[in-house]
Amino acid sequence: MVAARFGPAAPERYTVRPMHELNLATEIHRTCRATIEARGGGRLDSVRVAIGELAAVEPELLSYAWQAVVADGPDAGATLEVEWHPARQVCEVCGPREHEPGDWLRICPDCGRPLRIEGGNELDVLDLTYTPDGQEATT
Amino acid sequence: MTQVDVRQRILADNAAAAAALRARFADSRTLVMNLISSPGSGKTTLLEATVRALGGRLRLGAIEGDIATERDADRLRKLGIPAHQILTGGGCHLDARQVRGALDEHDLGPLDVLFIENVGNLVCPTSYDLGEDFKVALLSVTEGEDKPFKYPGIFSAAEVTVVTKADLMPHVPFQLEEVRGQVAALRPGGTLLVTSATTGQGIAEWCAFVEARLARKRAAGA
Repeated sequence: MVAARFGPAAPERYTVRPMHELNLATEIHRTCRATIEARGGGRLDSVRVAIGELAAVEPELLSYAWQAVVADGPDAGATLEVEWHPARQVCEVCGPREHEPGDWLRICPDCGRPLRIEGGNELDVLDLTYTPDGQEATT
Repeated sequence: MTQVDVRQRILADNAAAAAALRARFADSRTLVMNLISSPGSGKTTLLEATVRALGGRLRLGAIEGDIATERDADRLRKLGIPAHQILTGGGCHLDARQVRGALDEHDLGPLDVLFIENVGNLVCPTSYDLGEDFKVALLSVTEGEDKPFKYPGIFSAAEVTVVTKADLMPHVPFQLEEVRGQVAALRPGGTLLVTSATTGQGIAEWCAFVEARLARKRAAGA
């Protein structure tokens, strides 16, 4: 199980940190497990996360990593849904600006003033569904 | 099936560890920089030049992040400053728990300035707060002038961009003004310094920047 291999039991200095998205997937799963255990335990069915355009996360890689993290464990098959949040570029003079994904301009191309950036840094676990211990999954 | 609202940052643990580090560095009045760049752009070489210039006046220390070998920490220890090597064993970035572990394991002593040299990588280290005062991005002239727009995350997050290996500029098609424009577009108000550890160009300006930021932190914390 991935969590055991990368878990806090290994000595801090030599703990192997997985690549970026795998690390995030592990953190998402850890958060889910902690949430479920705090409510008496159960099996994770699905989790929804918010990922911002500026968070340097590739949703497809995160989905692959998620499958690797939950595979072979009690939560195998649990789904990960990514809610994508674009960043908004707002010029105080010209107003909100349409932009291509991956455009990080911080200067308004029309008037040269600094752009205000709204959102795009999201990296959150939003909510999850789980089947409490002792209950059969409803299909 | 039961639904639960979680609403928690994915990197909440890292953020908490980074906040604790930041409080620790505020107590010790240590200026902390997180150096991020591609492999081979000259992070350790810039630090060596910095130690030669400032080591007599300031208590400097370093935490080095690498996938393997103690080479970088060894290079800095040879110049007489305490340095701790974190071996990530394949991990592509440092996180705040690793920095805390390094400081707990290895007492670097009272420091005026701590340099954290991240694993060579322009992507992943950007997402992990290490409790630093600010990030420093390095860009060597041999990498080409389109780096800031290709890796906008780090160049917009870094308060200062240091161009390195400027002595090679006559030999490579590197447009400094293009870099200046890209960095200004990504980080309005940021600082851009042009250096060469080989000729010493710009090292005095870089050191003056470090000293000014240390003085500013101490004045704010006094």
